[in-house]
Amino acid sequence: MNHHDNHYHNDDDDLIINGVPMGRRAFLGMLSGAVAAGTLMSPSWSWAQAGGQATLTVSAPANPSSLDPATGGSGSDHVLLFPMYDTLVNWNPATLSATPGLAQKWSFPDPKTLVLELRPGVTFHDGTPFNAEAVKTNIDRSRTAEFSNIRQDLSSVDQVEVSGEHVVTLHLKNPDSALPLILSDRAGMMVSPKALADNNNRVDRNPVGAGFMRFQKWDDGSEVAMTRYADYNGPNKLAVGAISFKIITDSATRLRSVMSGQAQMAYHLDGRQKQMIERLPTLQGFADPTIYCYQFYMNMARKPLDDVRVRQAINYAVDRETFVRVAMAGAGEPAYMNLPKSHWAYDPETAKLYSHDPDKARALLKEAGHADGIELDLRGYNDQSSVQMQEVLMEQFSKVGIRGRFRTGTIADMSAAYFGQEKAGHMLLSAWTGRPDPSLSYSLLYSGTSYFNAGQVKPPEGFDQALLDSRSSDDQSQRQQALARVQRIVMENALVVPLAFRQSIVATTAQVQGFENNLLGKPKFNNVSLKA
Amino acid sequence: MVTRVKQRMVISRLLQALPILVLATFIVFCLMQLIPGDVAVTLAGENASVERIAEIRQAYGLDQPFFVQYGQWLWQAASGDLGTALLSGEPVAQTIARTFPNTLLVAVYATLLSIVIGVPLGILAATRSGSKLDGGIMGAASLGVALPNFWFGMILVLFFALTLRWFPATGFVSPFEDFSQALWYATLPALALCTNGIAEVARQLRSSLVEIQSSQHVRTLHAKGLSPARILWLHGLKNVSVNLLTVVGLLFNKILAATVVVEAVFAIPGIGSSIVNAVLQGDFPVVQGAVLAMVVTVIVVNLLTDLLCTLLDPRINAS
Repeated sequence: MNHHDNHYHNDDDDLIINGVPMGRRAFLGMLSGAVAAGTLMSPSWSWAQAGGQATLTVSAPANPSSLDPATGGSGSDHVLLFPMYDTLVNWNPATLSATPGLAQKWSFPDPKTLVLELRPGVTFHDGTPFNAEAVKTNIDRSRTAEFSNIRQDLSSVDQVEVSGEHVVTLHLKNPDSALPLILSDRAGMMVSPKALADNNNRVDRNPVGAGFMRFQKWDDGSEVAMTRYADYNGPNKLAVGAISFKIITDSATRLRSVMSGQAQMAYHLDGRQKQMIERLPTLQGFADPTIYCYQFYMNMARKPLDDVRVRQAINYAVDRETFVRVAMAGAGEPAYMNLPKSHWAYDPETAKLYSHDPDKARALLKEAGHADGIELDLRGYNDQSSVQMQEVLMEQFSKVGIRGRFRTGTIADMSAAYFGQEKAGHMLLSAWTGRPDPSLSYSLLYSGTSYFNAGQVKPPEGFDQALLDSRSSDDQSQRQQALARVQRIVMENALVVPLAFRQSIVATTAQVQGFENNLLGKPKFNNVSLKA
Repeated sequence: MVTRVKQRMVISRLLQALPILVLATFIVFCLMQLIPGDVAVTLAGENASVERIAEIRQAYGLDQPFFVQYGQWLWQAASGDLGTALLSGEPVAQTIARTFPNTLLVAVYATLLSIVIGVPLGILAATRSGSKLDGGIMGAASLGVALPNFWFGMILVLFFALTLRWFPATGFVSPFEDFSQALWYATLPALALCTNGIAEVARQLRSSLVEIQSSQHVRTLHAKGLSPARILWLHGLKNVSVNLLTVVGLLFNKILAATVVVEAVFAIPGIGSSIVNAVLQGDFPVVQGAVLAMVVTVIVVNLLTDLLCTLLDPRINAS
């Protein structure tokens, strides 16, 4: 994949820089009679200066659930966590394969042992040295503490051993070669052990990491601000003095904040806004694939979805190309499995299984004893783009005799009703945000006891073994083969109806340089600088 | 004498407000329970396991019976503790203290604009009652009542923020941080909110003034040779001031409610957006606390309106 395929930009930025102060003067003129001029004229308003001292203002879509990596629950937190917490392992932005992080090297001397060699000379924001002890403290906390939301990520870790000042050995209960990539996510974000001890284990409101940005303030629902950590000596080349995340939940408002120059960047924009960004001469637009996948979850404990032929029929009934074009304004990639083409573990053979084939869908339904079609209780969300997707899919379903009606509500409501105790509905049109290591996605989506397997149906023969195999080798090509087997079992048994991968749509002003999207769809700002 | 009567009135009105407060929070609590969402699921996050969700439900007391949960909340609230937000862990009182001033600033600004623009329009229409100008103003007022705030807000952003670049398109500055900045940020939202208010004020003022002008005592004043201008400014406006004040009081409450939508358009971190986010995620302590703050404000505004009315017109009985 060429990462910059969809990168378009313009160089006309003067409008933004010069426009607003003028506007303020006009406004002050208007008000000067009414309000004491002295207070108004104090020039507290200043635009971000360019260069190393500048503030990068970013419009973010959601208030973080927590700034403690171990207790947070929302996938949108990462964008705010990454700058403050360096992770033990990094990933390649284009393929998500593992690259060095705080651990400059790692190895599996045997399948049940992972040795991490840490980068020396790193300190946390409070001056605490980063060493093997710190890693042990963090991993033990994340895998055992009652409040930890990531215990499952680290469930394969049996014991953490400090083998040297900068060497950590993880002894595992079972082979788990997914661990390096797991350590590139929440589980690998290192918190200062001193801060944990001082704050009785709570760092959600006062995070202390070892990243290139240190925490400044968090106004709930409004702003999270960070300043540059002067003693940072890692690989990130960020050349701004501060980052301010403004929380703006509405994507149209988020885009307007960049159009008006109040923010230099907005991310998680809608596919529909892509064309608009292209037409705006003052903005640069980025639209790149992600592993965020729109999909139907299926409750396979409920009739008629307990019949594999019915599930396959639904997969044949969907015209994914049309879905992307019509429901996503073209800003996506049709999904034929759980991973997009650019991912290192993509399997082209599996992706061929379900082409759009209404005849086959009808035949399969007939074979399953539903010659007159089937009636499904469908669930979805009530925002505009979700409803649009539902309309397109209903139209496609109606052509093969799948009938039904969508019941919609907020994300929290509908997913709780579907996955929770109520078990409402046959299928839920939702999404999977993805995990750095695909094996984690597979186990969370399809394991018999997983929350996201609404029917708690045991996975098919061979699934568990293939998943184990995918975690028992450290060799990427062997892992790829095992993951391909997992994926093939998933799709042959039609455990899911993947629809499309969302693009990461980002708009920046022309000032912003060095930004690049990543396949995880959670922007990092490592190399960003602001042009004067 | 007068002050003692007033004191009694204030105290009795405040006592009357207590059951209203309890009822309002109870209704909100019931509504939150009816929404099928589960905040424990949100808290458990994307890797949620069934056990983890049960753990969280227990830790936050979400597994308790309905009345126990409400009773606990009420008991704490009565002792001045509004609890903490389930999702962010921030004390609810702190959330309110941070967001409510922003909302109040916008609402007060919009109310003032409604008065400053609406009153002259109303007077103009009333003094030229039946003329084309009167028709024009009243026509525009009908339009103003019908305009949806959020739509008008977006038009304002398009024109004044994105095209002319006079005002910021999004965001806010706390009035405690920098008042002039806060005013600058609040201008477009306040303009978006005041269309209904201007229309309301102009229409009410016009009809009251027209009514008074045809009353006997105004006719007497005419007969005594007072100029129409003197009659209007000295007697007419004084007589309609109670009416106007009542309209403005109601208007403020209406604008306060309408800020919820406008806050979304302008990305204002106000109490409205806090409520919306909290409702969407089932964070009931925040919803409860924020609604309580809104209800208290409405009660206080109504009380102040009544007090001012009795000051302006002693005939209004304080009891």
